Amino acid sequence: MQGIAALQPYVISLFLLWAALLKLLDRRMRAQAGQTALAGLVGPARAVPALRLVGVLELAVAAALLLPPPSAAEGVAAAALSAGFLGYLAYAHRVAPTSSCGCLGAHSRPVDRRGFVRAGLLLAMSLVAIGAEPYPMDPSLVALGLAEAVVLLGLSAELDRHWLTPLRRLRVRLRRPLAPPSPGEVPLEVTLRLLYLSPAYCSASALLTSDVQDTWDEDGLRFVAYGAGRRTAVFAAPLAGGDPSAVRVALTEVPALT
Amino acid sequence: MTSRRQLLKSALLGGGAGVVAATALGSLGPEAAFGAAAPDVAPGAPDPDFAEGRIRSVKENTLLVLGSNMVFHRIRIVDGTSLWKLGPTTFDQAKPGDGLYARGVRMPDGVLAAEAVWLNIVNIKGHVRNITAERIHLDHKGQQVLCHRVPGKSVAIYSDAPPSGDLSLLRVGQHVQVMGAWRPDTNEVDIATVFSAH
Repeated sequence: MQGIAALQPYVISLFLLWAALLKLLDRRMRAQAGQTALAGLVGPARAVPALRLVGVLELAVAAALLLPPPSAAEGVAAAALSAGFLGYLAYAHRVAPTSSCGCLGAHSRPVDRRGFVRAGLLLAMSLVAIGAEPYPMDPSLVALGLAEAVVLLGLSAELDRHWLTPLRRLRVRLRRPLAPPSPGEVPLEVTLRLLYLSPAYCSASALLTSDVQDTWDEDGLRFVAYGAGRRTAVFAAPLAGGDPSAVRVALTEVPALT
Repeated sequence: MTSRRQLLKSALLGGGAGVVAATALGSLGPEAAFGAAAPDVAPGAPDPDFAEGRIRSVKENTLLVLGSNMVFHRIRIVDGTSLWKLGPTTFDQAKPGDGLYARGVRMPDGVLAAEAVWLNIVNIKGHVRNITAERIHLDHKGQQVLCHRVPGKSVAIYSDAPPSGDLSLLRVGQHVQVMGAWRPDTNEVDIATVFSAH
């Protein structure tokens, strides 16, 4: 347990260091500060200074945790900061549910469950770190530290595009969840798209008063009937091929009623 | 129905009885295109010939619809009314709870005689978060929307390929626009058309 407590300051400080440097150095993040929930909390004009202030605080706590000697006050400071994060997330979730949190880099995703779990984990680690005393590191502790860091990074939606999106793309490529359907059946929408591009439809569209009333396939053609006031407009489009000029139209006195 | 179809077919292909305007190929004349009167609605005023809302009850051929502005509409479905629910459909598919947009002619008694009714139609833009079996998980402003592919109905429109029922070119992470039919009271949508930027 002593070892685990002694490990936490390192993991927390590296995480805070990363967050602080992004806030202080990332130009894109400052540019998007107005869209974060922070802007709602302190006002859009003060969003960038507030972001910098949080960055400096994170940097100070990270430095205190990283530099010897360890003390309980450092753990308390980290816990206070983490509790502040949690409170801020709760505020953002309630008051500005569509704003991003502005925690770790610029992105547009609003605060979600993962953000809360990450802040909660940070708080738990900070509480454990309060009791930290000097303790020799061994490989199992290093492995635990790495595991904690991986979990923290995995809970960061800001990083999804670097690992989660490529992973999902790979899975889609392997499993092909939307494998093409068997050819032969032409969805109506494909014909309608051809129709919309055709001179025949363009010339008649101003007269149409309804959407598709009836459609049927016959002799390699797809017939589509629309209401046109008291009349009916009927189109014929080839089922195969994509030439819009092959679409024909007739406006007839056959009433729209069947 | 068959005889009407035959009538329409002969009008188109053979110039049958009652043809007002027809073309062997191509378009009608410009007088047809400009024949329709412009809608007579003052800017900003509600269009009396349009209604939206959710179906509260279905009685004979009339839908009682509660609009999002809490105004009730009575919408009469006649034989010539086109109904859409992920494609052309029939009146018996209109169920209480369905959302709708309707366009038609307002009768003196306040009933909207519908020319076209679109049930549960939605138009959503978002990012593809994930693709699983027959489903696209869409992130729409942080809300997850589950979009189902319906074989034979769902169509993808890519910028550089003709429209087709093949949705397999969609990629995780890309931006798409989905037109489809909402499944009432869920965050799920059946895809009619998905527009892809590439």
